[in-house]
Amino acid sequence: MKFDTPNFSPCGDHFAMVQFGDDASIDLNFMALGLTAILKEGVIDGVLDTNPSYNSVVVEYDFDRITYLDLVKELQKLVEGIGSVDKLILDSRVVYIPALYLDSETRWCIKDYSEKIKQREYDPKFVAHINSLTDEKQLVRVHSGTEHWVVAVCSTPGLPLMRALDPRCFLTSPKYNPPRTWTTLGAIGVGGLSTSIYTTPGPGGYNLIGRIPIPLWDPKQKHAIFKDKVVLLNAADRVKFMPIDLEEFEYIEKRIEDGSYEFNITAYQKFSVGAYKRWAVSVGSKARF
Amino acid sequence: MTVKIEVLKPGLETAVQDFPGRFGFWEQGFPPSGPFDMWSFRLANLLVGNKETAAGLECQFMGPTLFFTEDCVVAMCGADMNSKIDGESMPMWKSILVKGGQELTCGFATKGARAYLAVSGGIDVPDVLGSRSTFHMAGVGGLEGHALKANQIIKTGISNEAPMQGRQVRQSCRPSISTDGRWEIEIVLGPNDDWIDKAGIKIFFDSEWKLQSRSNRTGYRLEGPDLTFAEKAINKGPEHGEHPSNILDHGYPVGSVNLCGQTPIILVNDAPSAGGFINPFTVPSAAFWKLAQSKPNDLFKFRCISVEEAQKLRRDLDSVCNEGSIE
Amino acid sequence: MIYDEPKILPGGDRFIEMELGNELNFDLNFLVHALCSKIREANISGIIELLPNMASIVVSYEPDKISFDDLKKVVLEHYHQMGSLEDVELLSPIYYIPVLYCDHVTKACWEDYCEKINKKEYDPDLMVRLNKLENYAQLERIHSGTEYWVAALGFYPGLASLIALDPRCRLTAPKYNPPRTWTPKGTVGYGGSVTCVYPANTPGGYQIIGHTPVPVCDMEQRLAAFKDDLALLRPGDRVRFFPVGREEYDYVENRVKDGSYVHNVSNYAKFSIREYHKWLSTLDMKERF
Repeated sequence: MKFDTPNFSPCGDHFAMVQFGDDASIDLNFMALGLTAILKEGVIDGVLDTNPSYNSVVVEYDFDRITYLDLVKELQKLVEGIGSVDKLILDSRVVYIPALYLDSETRWCIKDYSEKIKQREYDPKFVAHINSLTDEKQLVRVHSGTEHWVVAVCSTPGLPLMRALDPRCFLTSPKYNPPRTWTTLGAIGVGGLSTSIYTTPGPGGYNLIGRIPIPLWDPKQKHAIFKDKVVLLNAADRVKFMPIDLEEFEYIEKRIEDGSYEFNITAYQKFSVGAYKRWAVSVGSKARF
Repeated sequence: MTVKIEVLKPGLETAVQDFPGRFGFWEQGFPPSGPFDMWSFRLANLLVGNKETAAGLECQFMGPTLFFTEDCVVAMCGADMNSKIDGESMPMWKSILVKGGQELTCGFATKGARAYLAVSGGIDVPDVLGSRSTFHMAGVGGLEGHALKANQIIKTGISNEAPMQGRQVRQSCRPSISTDGRWEIEIVLGPNDDWIDKAGIKIFFDSEWKLQSRSNRTGYRLEGPDLTFAEKAINKGPEHGEHPSNILDHGYPVGSVNLCGQTPIILVNDAPSAGGFINPFTVPSAAFWKLAQSKPNDLFKFRCISVEEAQKLRRDLDSVCNEGSIE
Repeated sequence: MIYDEPKILPGGDRFIEMELGNELNFDLNFLVHALCSKIREANISGIIELLPNMASIVVSYEPDKISFDDLKKVVLEHYHQMGSLEDVELLSPIYYIPVLYCDHVTKACWEDYCEKINKKEYDPDLMVRLNKLENYAQLERIHSGTEYWVAALGFYPGLASLIALDPRCRLTAPKYNPPRTWTPKGTVGYGGSVTCVYPANTPGGYQIIGHTPVPVCDMEQRLAAFKDDLALLRPGDRVRFFPVGREEYDYVENRVKDGSYVHNVSNYAKFSIREYHKWLSTLDMKERF
């Protein structure tokens, strides 16, 4: 639910949270990212860092330069200045990520869970079935047919939490219960309304439908793309998965290894929330790719 | 009242056109189409009491055979196709009452190449992209998108109430169709005349150009000497293309003399809207009727005129296309 | 080169050609479309149609309503009134079009040409050789690795000239000499520095490298995408090709045939010239996908 006015609360001595609502509706995220974008311009003296999430932003501040109460006043002014979420226009890169869907590694991970922890159907079949899709191939078509909005980068380093933008590509699925104890590195998972990519081989609960050959974070900054930032994705990026085959996957792995891989990112677009909403209404959600 | 006309024989690419054709979709790749010889077309319409814009039939080289189910006032203008009504010779440039049950037959054009048949009420086909004109190659407009086919039925619109038969176009108001296969065609220099050098311009205007048989509403291909190019055609960026006649893709004015390599192709009513060859010269709209009435192997000699002179010629043509030319 | 002053050239009694430059240059093309929009919005009495292309605009006019000299004056005035392009942001829909590269349809067309007109090198081989690529896979990767800007429509209804936005994906290709007398509808071609999808079976001269079952022009307006227009693309739109295998190609073809195919187009991003220039400067031109 969207709050009538944003909720401000202190988090310890040098953090403040601005919360726009309490659910996962994408408008709340747009507001959070809109506020974050403005804060990044340095309009409030004393703000050190921002951490946007689904429906809120945590702001880190220097209490010697600005008090909590003054910070709240300034944040309120900024939120009022944004006005309607529909007016927001956000810088938004598109990151094209090659994806090997229905691959053998994640298939093995699922099988391992099924044998050792709890019997379950092959995830892509399961997700296709509960979303009334014809088969796993259509799942691939639908999942890769839309841009996925990066709501936040969180949980583990570089891990993107994403939502499908095209209403015709919305999928929903329950998470593993109990969760897995390990996950294929680079696996693409879908759970609830979200998509995520596993950047560490740790536990997880999303349904696995494929995997990617490129790293989303690199603390050693081996590859040139990580020169300024150890994490590839940002909130407000959009990810488009490009289905590839095993041969292409192995080719890309080699180029990652030798450092010559060229990441495919375009950064000349601005995401218009108003235009998005009008477009989403115009395409409806009944048709499927 | 409206009349049904049956197509017994379609002739050689007979199609519905209206004047001035299709506008507003050029930048999506739709050419204007419309009647090639607008002079004859407009007068034919006026003769039968239609507005000059009404849809009529353009007959090319050999006209159709049509069966009229009811009485209808018609007029044929342009090339002489030895048209007959129930075997009796049909006068040209005159509005005639065809009675229900009669058949109109056309033969091969003897003088000129294209004839226009106007029917009272115009031809009733749906508007496609704002016009009834046929773009045959792409299947747009006219009768089901293409030239007439045997067994189709043409419907007319509601005819003019007043009796329109027996009117004729004054002799002096008719286009003077060449009888010796030679034509003098007006030309305006540009847009890309500076791609041809002085010697080349002289060659163009001094020479006689033969109309090739592979010519039609899409383009009129000319046979003649090679032209010579200016410096800018030879030394240019690679994106234009290697040959001197190659240019970065640009829009093609209707009437452009499009130089493809060394083949000049005059772009007419159904021509492509853009491409990568230069247009050193343009045929003005008032000279189109001459192109329309010429036949393969006819010879063209081009005469250079200014933009103002070309516009005056068009104004003169427009002023002939009205009631004052009919007696 | 973008001319300091546009050249206004006559085209007979009722056309002018306004030349803004003489090269294939994205900025120049953007200027053409922005200027064309501006002139169109001004609703100048006497102007019938505007035909923008790569670096020029052909204007058809009614000499009784506006003289050649007055027309020349007014279009030049509009040109000089244009502000800096840097500030322009245009809503730009993007179309995702599946392509089967090095496919059976275009191969048959090439074989027919070799038999009946002139023997020539297999087009993908020629593209790989001329552009110093490794193999067909790299041709595919590069051709599909960029968004394409619709620079112009013309030549035939529904035919769009597309230029690669990512300069690292610009290839070069000579044209067939003499041209083909036919090209299968849906062929993906490359000529000069431009790529296109043939909207119908037409003659053509571009090298042919792939095939899409997705229609870009539909005179009968059968599919939903053509509800309001016969042609899919407009200048200022963007296209991105994505490689598919034969199975997916056949699936899409069937959905086109049964009328249920849904074109993948999203329209919520604004193309920003300033951001595009910034992004260009971050690219390493020596690298390839």
